[in-house]
This record gives sequence, structure tokens and C-alpha cells, in this order.
Amino acid sequence: MTLNLCVLTPNRIVWDSEVKEIILSTNTGQIGVLPNHAPIATAVDIGILRIRLNDQWLTMALMGGFARIGNNEITILVNDAEKGSDIDPQEAQETLELAEANLRKAEGKRQTIEANLALRRARTRVEAINAIS
Amino acid sequence: MSSSNLTMWASSKPSISDASPLSFRASVGSIFQLPSSGSPSRANPVAPIQCNLRELRDRIDSVKNTQKITEAMKLVAAAKVRRAQEAVVNGRPFSETLVEVLYNINEQLQIEDVDAPLTSVRPVKKVALVVVTGDRGLCGGFNNNIIKKAEARIAELKGLGLDYTVISVGKKGNSYFLRRPYIPVDKFLEGGTLPTAKEAQAIADDVFSLFVSEEVDKVELLYTKFVSLVKSNPVIHTLLPLSPKGEICDLNGNCVDAAEDEFFRLTTKEGKLTVERDVVRTETIDFSPILQFEQDPVQILDALLPLYLNSQILRALQESLASELAARMSAMSNATDNASELKKSLSMVYNRRRQAKITGEILEIVAGANALT
Repeated sequence: MTLNLCVLTPNRIVWDSEVKEIILSTNTGQIGVLPNHAPIATAVDIGILRIRLNDQWLTMALMGGFARIGNNEITILVNDAEKGSDIDPQEAQETLELAEANLRKAEGKRQTIEANLALRRARTRVEAINAIS
Repeated sequence: MSSSNLTMWASSKPSISDASPLSFRASVGSIFQLPSSGSPSRANPVAPIQCNLRELRDRIDSVKNTQKITEAMKLVAAAKVRRAQEAVVNGRPFSETLVEVLYNINEQLQIEDVDAPLTSVRPVKKVALVVVTGDRGLCGGFNNNIIKKAEARIAELKGLGLDYTVISVGKKGNSYFLRRPYIPVDKFLEGGTLPTAKEAQAIADDVFSLFVSEEVDKVELLYTKFVSLVKSNPVIHTLLPLSPKGEICDLNGNCVDAAEDEFFRLTTKEGKLTVERDVVRTETIDFSPILQFEQDPVQILDALLPLYLNSQILRALQESLASELAARMSAMSNATDNASELKKSLSMVYNRRRQAKITGEILEIVAGANALT
């Protein structure tokens, strides 16, 4: 049995091919998906997605969305997805620091919400790089 | 310059030549002509015509250059419309799947009472208007139309006694609202050359935080809907709150079937660019009825609705860009036509003037030669 993974963003198809296994960060924690998984629908948090191709693990930073698993088809809909290998480490680190500074400066409910979101995105990107090395 | 010297020489020579044999007539003539239009007529008829001829030539040149520019802009816009269309096509798998999933989940959630933050309908006190304009001008009435629509909507809201704030997207809108400090603007954003999920995300984040922090109770999106290459409509689309029944209805109750997806295709027909608009009905296949929800349905809806919000905004940005490019294309095509017409009439005048001048010179020479003999 083969497992097919499809990662879609509003701009493009990021991934559409066969995989052996994935680990997905959902809102209620990480779940691993192997072939013949029970059909489920889940919300995807801002976090990293690990993909196993044979014996090689890849990481991808997902910016929140939704996943549907069933019939050995995984469809992940996310706002944005970046492969860990495509992220510039220095730039990601700078963005993270900026986001942290912004959160400290944030005043009021609204700014805090925004800053928190930005911080989580930035952190995920950094994590996606570190997971490789 | 050489021709002006020639005419000066030609026109001055007869005056000298007829000054010697008929000094009397010449002096009479000069006296008669001096006060009224003598020296001006000598200097001026030569000078303005000269000047006019040169001016005409300059104008023809500048019109030619302008025509080249407008022609190029038209072609660039046409090429960009293609790119915009590609972006829409690239986004299709996403929006199709999203609609499919939403449709399914919506069906399964019909029974339950869902209460997600993005669907909460509150009594409206303040409305946020997201106004999508272009970054550049030279596209006919495109920017003006959407700004006028926004102004009309603002007046309407004022009439209803509601508070409002504007989120301006695009340089043209930004400069418009900056010049009018009495309109409260929450944020100025700039649209990129090609709208991507990042820009949509920035707008969505802003809208989301405004709505969730209860600063505003309704968010409306004002953008230009792309109908065809020659037609586009500024429209108002209610973004938030998403009505609980569905992501599929907009607030005013008019149901938009989200399964019906439209996209436009640029094709060439008989060598001319045309646009086809396809209505694609995405089949909403039932997927496994034994589907389990990993989280609460509410949480899943919470994850899906922002996605839906983003894709709506992205869609609006793409439509707006396509409309802008189409507007620019037709405006530039008109400008090119006008330029060639102007060039034609100017060259006609120029040629007439030139011919008239040459005829005049020949007459003068002939008259002078006749006077000599």
C-alpha cells in the first residue's frame, strides 16, 4: 500500500507524491500517519511536518491549516508551506528576533494577537531548519 | 534651420532688390507697413510659421514617442494578464479542495450548533472597509472607480450612523487616503506586482485581529471584479462575519454557491486577445462517511475559516490585478489609437504648412525676378 501526500497552498502545489510516513503537528499534538490510516479530518497548527521518503526525513514548515486523511490520500491545506531546505537560516533567525522584539513592544489585545502569530510562524521556520541538521 | 535661413534670405533679398530701383515705393510700403504690421509681419510671419513648423515637428515626434510607450505598455499589460491568469490557475487545486472539504464539513456540522469566532454575528457598530486599488496609474478609470465606490459606501455608513475604518491596499488608494486625513485609515498596505499568499495573509491577519478583538463588527472587501478584458465591476463583498450556515453564503443572504468556481482564461482569437471565462463546477464528492474528526468540529472549523478567508482575499487581489491590467490594456490601446490619429492630423497640418511656405517662397522669388526684368 502506498501513501500519497498532497500539500497545497493558495499559490501552488508544494508537494504531490508518494511518501512512506509523515508526522503532522495538529492542534492536539503530533500524529504519525502510516499507510492505511483511518480516515480523519484534523486542523493543522503552525508547526513542522516531517516526511519520510524511504530512509530519509524531510521537514517542512506549515503555517496553519487543515488536513484530511483517508483512502491512503493525505491532503494538507495550508496558508503557506516552506521546505526546510529552502529557508535561509540567517533570515529566519533575524525574523524570529524581530518577532520576539515586536511581542515585547505589543500593546493591547490586538497587537498581542498579531505579534503572537508572527512569533509562532518565525519560530516554526527556525525549527524546520534545525530539524535537518 | 537651413530652411529658415533660406526664407529669411529669400524674403529679404527682394526687399533689398526692390529698394534700389523703386525706393519710393519701398519707403511708402515700409511706412505703411511699419506701424500696422510692417516689421512684425516681416519678422513674425516668418518666425511663427518657422516656429510652428518646428513646433509641429517636435509635437509629431513627441506623439510618436508617446505612441511607442503606450504600445509597449499595452503589450506588457497583456503579458501580465497572462501571468495573473496563471496565478489563478495555480491556486485552483487549493481552492477546489478547500471548497470540497468545507462543503463536506459543513454538511456534517449542520446538525450541531457551531460557534466559531469568525462566524459570530454581533450588532454592527463599526465596519472595516478593505479597499483594493492598483499600484500604478495609466489604467483608465480603474482606480477612480473603486475609490468612488469606497466613498459612496463611506457616505452610506455615515448616513446609517455607523463608525468605519479603512484598510487601504495599493499605492493609489494609499495616496488618496493620505490626502484625506478625515477618513480614518487603520492600515496602509502595498500590493505587490503579483499577489501572493503572503500579501493575502497580511491583510487577513489585520482583518482577523480587528474582528476578533471586537474593534470592528463587520469587514467588507471592496475590489474590482474581473468580468472581461473590457469590463470590470467594482464590488463590495462581505468578508466577515462568515455566516454560520456557511462559508458558502454571504451576509446579505444572497447565496453564492462556492462549489461554482469561475476563472478566466486568456486566449487568442483571430490574432486578437480575448478572454474566456469558464464556470467550473467542482463536483463535491462525498468522502468517506466514517470520517472522524480529530478535534472538536469547532476547532476544525476554526482552522478552516482562516484558510477560507485567505483564499477569498487572495482571490480578490488576483481579480483586482487582472482588472487593473485589463483596464490598462484597453486604456493604452485607446491611447495608441489616439496617438496615431493625432499623428496623422498633425502631419497633415505640417505638410500643408510646409507646402504653403514653399509655394509662398517660390511666388516671392518669381515676383522678385519679374520685378527685376
